[in-house]
Amino acid sequence: MLRATDVSQSFGGERVFDDLSVEVDAGEVLGVIGPSGVGKTTLLRTLALSLEPDAGTVALGGTEAWTAEESERLALRRRVGMVFQEASLFDASVGRNVEYGLRVRSPWSDRIAAALGLAETPDAVRESLDVVGLTDKADQHADSLSGGEAQRVSFARALAYDPDVLLLDEPTSDLDPRNTAVIEEAIGEARSRGIGVVVATHDMHQAERVADRVAVLLDDGITEVGPTEAIFEDPDDERTRKFISGELVY
Amino acid sequence: MSLAAIPELAPALLDLPFREGYVRSIVFVSLYVSVTAVALSTLFSVPVAVAIGFADFPGKGFVKSVVNTGMGFPSVVVGLIVLFAVSNQGPLGSLDLVFTREAMIMSQFVLATPPITAITLAAVSGVDEGVRDAARALGGTRLDAALVVLKEARYGIATAILAGFGRAVSEVGSVLIVGGNITSADGISKTRTLTTAIQLEARQGQYETAMILGAVLVALVLTVNAVVVHFGDSGVTR
Repeated sequence: MLRATDVSQSFGGERVFDDLSVEVDAGEVLGVIGPSGVGKTTLLRTLALSLEPDAGTVALGGTEAWTAEESERLALRRRVGMVFQEASLFDASVGRNVEYGLRVRSPWSDRIAAALGLAETPDAVRESLDVVGLTDKADQHADSLSGGEAQRVSFARALAYDPDVLLLDEPTSDLDPRNTAVIEEAIGEARSRGIGVVVATHDMHQAERVADRVAVLLDDGITEVGPTEAIFEDPDDERTRKFISGELVY
Repeated sequence: MSLAAIPELAPALLDLPFREGYVRSIVFVSLYVSVTAVALSTLFSVPVAVAIGFADFPGKGFVKSVVNTGMGFPSVVVGLIVLFAVSNQGPLGSLDLVFTREAMIMSQFVLATPPITAITLAAVSGVDEGVRDAARALGGTRLDAALVVLKEARYGIATAILAGFGRAVSEVGSVLIVGGNITSADGISKTRTLTTAIQLEARQGQYETAMILGAVLVALVLTVNAVVVHFGDSGVTR
């Protein structure tokens, strides 16, 4: 469904990665594991069509994004959801935050009506908050939430508009076990809805718990991609084996 | 002072040394000129500040410095430049704007624009970049992201507008130069504002009148501030 082929990225002349290929299918969870600083966030931003790669292609449903017209690329981008490491909620109520992705896809007349409080809250808002167990917080201001709750709202915000692909960048790195469990359950719910999920994490146990396949991203690119069990039990690549066993320390 | 003294003072307070409609016309001219200038300046400054805040270009720091420097630009110099522009020899001479409210609006627009732009730019730049990223990641266009940033920065923008209004409404030098501090024969203000009236009354030794006009000016600024703060607070949960 979402496929990056031979993509390269660099910032200010500094290479982040070269010739990297990765794909995720509908209803599949792909874990991207690797130490901090190897380019997991950059890879996710590339997949989210936020960053144009220096080389290579990114295609969603067979449509190449960076050769498409801008309007078509916007349409593609709107089929992808992304959750960042920081929740970065808007200065508004929880419901308004979750509603945002739906509103930007609405005609301006509907958006103005919503801004004036004249529109009904879409059902998808309540349904998404239900997935992360925060239905009762819909009317609270985002500032009143704990860090874990804020991240759950951030997840619901990306889930509300029913994307084809959901990209999660270290979604639980700052969370306690309870909130982590809620997010991991929500990942399972997204998968059951047929959404392709990419989870970038340095928590290998989490990747083992939630991912169907795992890509190992080290400082020289993706060393190995395969079924989660095979990667953790019997990796083909020596560097992958060392990273998973903890011998390769960054 | 006992309460019994109030009836004795009341006639003195009511018997103000003003011609009928004098103060009202001065307040009207002050508000008309300042509010129009600040509204026009806001329409110009906020998009410019957002554009500068969002864009990365060589010399961005220099542009910010120029905007900040504009906040300290002497108002009498602005008045002189505007007077030259609207005079018969100036580029806008054919519009016959010398000693008119329109010329005063031009002058106050020039004065209000740097603080509104600079403070809005600081407010926009202070919004967490993650918020802008989130707006884009959730399917927003650049315009959507800009609107989110404007909403996040709304208190800063309100402060910017208040600063611009404060500079415009309290301005003396430039409005005196371009407006001429004129009243009609019946004493109704044509281009006289609260500040220029205060200056005139004080110079003529009418301190009581000057003090009352000063109190009206302060009350006006406080009211505008209160209204802006009220609307800012009421929009928090939206």
